[in-house]
Formats: sequence, C-alpha cells, structure tokens
Amino acid sequence: MTDAAATASPHYSSSEAAAAKRRRRYAADARLRGYGIAAISLALGLLGVLITTLVVGGYPAFTQTMVRVDFPISTENVDPADPAAGNFRRVMSAGVSELLPGAESLAEVRAITSILTNNTQFILRNAVVEDPSVIGGTLALKVPASDPFDQLNKGLINRDTPEDVRRLNDQQIAWFDSLREQGRISTPFNWGLFTNSDSRFPEVAGLAGAIVGSAYALMVCFLISFPVGIAAAIYLEEFAPKNRATDVIEVNINNLAAVPSIVFGLLGLAVFIQIFGLPRSAPIVGGMVLSLMTLPTIIIVTRNAIKAVPPSIREAAYGVGASKHQVTLHHVLPLALPGILTGTIIGLAQALGETAPLLLIGMNAFITSPPGGVFEASTALPTQIFIWADSPERGFVSRTSAAILVLLGFLIIMNGIAVFLRQRLERTW
Amino acid sequence: MNTVVDDIMMKPMSPVAAAPAASNRPSKVSARNVTVHYGVKQALFDVNVDIPANQVTSFIGPSGCGKSTFLRCLNRMNDTIPICKVAGEMKLDDMDIYDPRIDVVELRARVGMVFQKPNPFPKSIYENVAYGPKIHGMTRNKTELDEVVTGSIKRAGLWSEVKDRLNEPGTGLSGGQQQRLCIARAIATKPEVLLMDEPASALDPIATAIIEELIDELRANYTIIIVTHSMQQAARVSQRTAFFHLGKLIEEGRTEDIFSNPKHKQTEDYITGKIG
Repeated sequence: MTDAAATASPHYSSSEAAAAKRRRRYAADARLRGYGIAAISLALGLLGVLITTLVVGGYPAFTQTMVRVDFPISTENVDPADPAAGNFRRVMSAGVSELLPGAESLAEVRAITSILTNNTQFILRNAVVEDPSVIGGTLALKVPASDPFDQLNKGLINRDTPEDVRRLNDQQIAWFDSLREQGRISTPFNWGLFTNSDSRFPEVAGLAGAIVGSAYALMVCFLISFPVGIAAAIYLEEFAPKNRATDVIEVNINNLAAVPSIVFGLLGLAVFIQIFGLPRSAPIVGGMVLSLMTLPTIIIVTRNAIKAVPPSIREAAYGVGASKHQVTLHHVLPLALPGILTGTIIGLAQALGETAPLLLIGMNAFITSPPGGVFEASTALPTQIFIWADSPERGFVSRTSAAILVLLGFLIIMNGIAVFLRQRLERTW
Repeated sequence: MNTVVDDIMMKPMSPVAAAPAASNRPSKVSARNVTVHYGVKQALFDVNVDIPANQVTSFIGPSGCGKSTFLRCLNRMNDTIPICKVAGEMKLDDMDIYDPRIDVVELRARVGMVFQKPNPFPKSIYENVAYGPKIHGMTRNKTELDEVVTGSIKRAGLWSEVKDRLNEPGTGLSGGQQQRLCIARAIATKPEVLLMDEPASALDPIATAIIEELIDELRANYTIIIVTHSMQQAARVSQRTAFFHLGKLIEEGRTEDIFSNPKHKQTEDYITGKIG
C-alpha cells in the first residue's frame, strides 16, 4: 500500500494505522504459536531424556551372561529313583572343579563356584528332575553368571580400577577370561526377566511374580469398579432426583478422584486388612484399594459419555414407548460405551502404575514365586520397581530401569487398546 | 390375530379405541383447562381443545407460544423434564392421559411421535422400525415382525427406496428419508394418534412435499396433530387449525375458516404477518 493511497483513502482499513495494527496482531499470533511449540518441544525433550535414560540404564538387564558347565550326574550323588533328593551341591562342585584346570583345593573350587549364581544347585535340580535320563551321564547346562561377573562381562566393571577397590580381584577376572577363552560364556536374551520371580540375586531375579500380581490386582479392580462405576453413573445421570443430596454426592465423587492415593492405602490397611481380616500383601486387597481410586474416574467418564448421547436419541426411544431401562440399556449405554471403555482402560492404566497404596497394604514384600490366586501374597510391577530401586546389588540398577520399561510397555499397550476401541466403536449420528 | 399386513395396520391396538366412544365426546383427543408450568414460568394457560379423529389438526403460532409444549403433553413426553408441571384434564378417547395409574409406555404406543429433527436410532433401517413392536411384544415371531416392519415402511412411502438395504444403518439415509423412517417407526406400534413436531422444518422443499403428501395419506388411519411454523404448510395439510399465542389457545376451527375468516385480531395479525 502506498502512502498516497493511505492518505487519500477515506476507509480506516486501508490506513497506515490499520496496517500497523494488523501487523501487531499477526506478530501476536506468531508469538502465541511460538510459545506453544516451545512448550511442546520442552515436554517432548524431557520425555526423550527420560526414555533415553531408561533404555541406556535398562538395556543390560535384557541380556544375561550365562556360563556353560558340564555337570557329571553320577548315580552316587543323584538317586534315579528319587532325583529331587539328590546331593546337587556335590554335583555342582564336581562340575565346577572341571571348569578350570589346576583348581585343586576346596577353597579354590568354592571361589570358582562364586562365578555361578547362588541358585545353581536349584537350577541343576530342576533340570535333572525335568529330564532324569541324564542321571549317570553328563549334563551340559547354561547357568547364569553371578552378578559381579555379569557386570564384568557387560563391561560395567572397569578393569583399570585398582584391585583393592574393585569388586572382583585379578584372580577372579583371570578365571572369567579363561572361561571366555574356552567358549563357555554366552550373553543371550534374558528370558528370566519375564519367567523368574523376585530373588536376592539379581542375575536370577525376574518380574513374573510382579506381572502376575499386577494382573490379578487389575482384574479385581476391574471386576469391582467397572460394574459399580457404571451402575452409579447411570443412577446419577438417569434416575437420581436433582436435589441437594445428589449435589453433595456429585461433589464428593469429584473430590474422591483427587484424594492422594496413599490415603486409599491407609483405608485398605485399616478396613480391608484390620477389620475384614483379608490377607496382607494379597492382590485381592490391592485390587480393592485400586478400585476405590478407579471408581470415581469411571463414574465421571461414564456420566460424561452418557451426557454426550444426543437427547434426540433418548426422545426417539421414549417416543416409541420405551421404558426408562429400555432407553438406557438399548440406546444410551451402547452409544456411550466407547467413551466408557476408553475411560475405564485409562483408569486401569493409572491403577497399574499406582505404588503408594500397595506399599501400605504390604505388596512390597519379598516374594519369590508368582501368586497362585488373588488371596496369595504377591508384589506388583510398581512395587517391584520400588523394591529393586532400594536394593544395593549393581545388577538391580539396570533391572530397575528394565522393569520401568516393562511397566511403560504395559501402559502403552493399554492406552493403545483404548485408542483402538474408541476409533473402532465410535459411531456417528 | 391378523395375517394380512394392511389389516394389522388398520386396526387400532386398544379395544377402548376400537369401540365407538360412548360418552358425549366425539373427539379423539380433548383438553380441558390445561396449564403447564416450567418451574415458576407458566407456559400454557387454560387450553381447551377437541381434536377430531382421522383429521389433520395443525398447531400454529409464533416461537415460544406453547404449541410444542402442548403437543408434548399429549404423549406425556414432558414427563422427562423434571421441572415441568401439567394441570388440567386431557383425554384420549375416555382415558385420562394424566391419570397416575396410566402406563406411560402404553400411552406412547397409542400416541406416536415424530420429531423436528430426524432422529433414527444408530441401528439398521429394519431395527429402527422393529424396535417399537419388539419392546411392546406386539409380534409373536419373526414373520409377524417382518410383516409389521415392511408394512410400516410401505405406509411411510419409503419401501421402494430402502427395500434392498434394510440392514444398512438408518443414519445413512438422506434427511427426508430419515424423517419418513421415523414416521415408519412411529406407526409400527400401531398408534391411534400421530404427533408431529415440525416434521418438515429440517428438510428441503422436495422432501417437505413428500412428507406432506404422506401426512395426507396417513390421515385415513390416524388422527394427526402437527406443529408447524409454516402457515402455508398448515393450510396445505390440515383440516383444522389451532392458533397459539403467548401460551394461550387463541382460536381453533376449520383451516379454511382460520385462514380466510379469523375471528380474533391476533390470529389475523399472525396470518397476515404482523406478529410472529
């Protein structure tokens, strides 16, 4: 626009002042967008740092150093009639003494044995019980290396550190290198992380117990909170009179969603365990406590989903003479279902990651086998992370990160299901 | 009881309606001193009207005059609004509509309703029409249900357009087809009275013309009450017209009389476009 036009024109919109005003407006738009992009970049950056830290810290735990040992299973040590009662400590010593030439004394054999996990004799027993035909022969078995040697193999123990402050002395490192030269060392994927339960020894500690415990707790949580939440939401939305009492209930449900989770843990401890006498550390109690937290979420999302059903559909159903329950069950609920399901899954995902209430009801106990049912003591994924993060062994450092990655994986899967359900079931009207 | 489709459709459901009205009311629907309050606001003032059977009666009047409110009283749709209070006497034949012992579900089967915006269920075309008969248990088996569904769709003038796609969603039809589907759904429960709340206001002129023709055909079997904003529509489709203004029924009579020779000044003002 030229100056001549600006001064000559009688219209404000073509004046210089208007142009300046427009420029300022566009600049403000650009700034606002810039703030948004900066905020998102910051969030994504922090998330990236978190994930990178976890992956870098956790990836060593996804492999496990194994030592192949040839155990002579003599009938002297293991009775073919009753393999489980065999003397596997002697079998182990026999196998270990053949590993390295020159290991004569008992003390030396014992020291070499420390390369293998402390659970070796139990692993041996299980292998022999599973396949008794090896009795009288030799069993070549890959045994997890104990934590310090696992760290050494993964390069996490610096060989240049002076011997007196190093976790392993020169002799132990030499033994390990000799085993590697013999081709006895391998580093396969650590399936034990998913098939083993907790252990004092990081090399054989796994998440199986925690995963099963979390699954049981979530199942209990779902079975309680889903039907109760939907029933409560339907009552509040469709049947409840609009009066002071329902207002109070509504406000309290909203408040309940904001109560710190540790409070629910205290409630679980005081009521479910002390008064009802339910077992400690059990997924049933964990699930009940988590359902208290999930319930308000489910009630709120269900009410919103019911509210979002267009009134015209309700009118249409009433218009042909449907009764209240028919309107609700035949029309409102099916239309609200995608919203309800997504909300429920997100509520359950929150419950899966909840730690504080589970600590209070004892689901952070040291339990070395997966629970056989909802009444048996168990850990859960977040509490297992908590336990491992507290453990001093170096192997648990990477296992903690790995467990967090596994938990994140489950959360991503659950949210993925929620997105899938929403897109699949959502209907237009 | 009936096997021929048309026979089923002709016969009203209730034995009360089948017998000629024994009382001194010749009308199908009558209202005496009906008042409606929404909370503290009064929406209708002492409405008295008699609506004859097998005719089209149109309710006209400016927005907010209470014509839709009155219509929704006739099948107690206003029950779903908690703050709405209805007083006075309304009768369908000899049955008091607001008798607390009345089963609203049965009433709504006898008094069908078509809404302003086409609102088919997000289900198949077949399911839309079959829903009413199903929940009222009107048919004993699939064959009977099929007959009622096809009969209703035929009556609603939709059969040739949808007969090959009964299992497709009703929401996939055009606006005019959806509205005729809603009419088919309403008549599937064999109602005696059909309430229509501005049934053509969301439709284009061609779809409107089809609906109007349909209303004229349906008159033979149903008592039709239609709320409309369009005076031309009222003149085209109805035999009787009632004019509402500010919650009062100002005038009611034969449509020709109302439009050519209104008795009240307000009616004349509305018809000539001075108010509204």
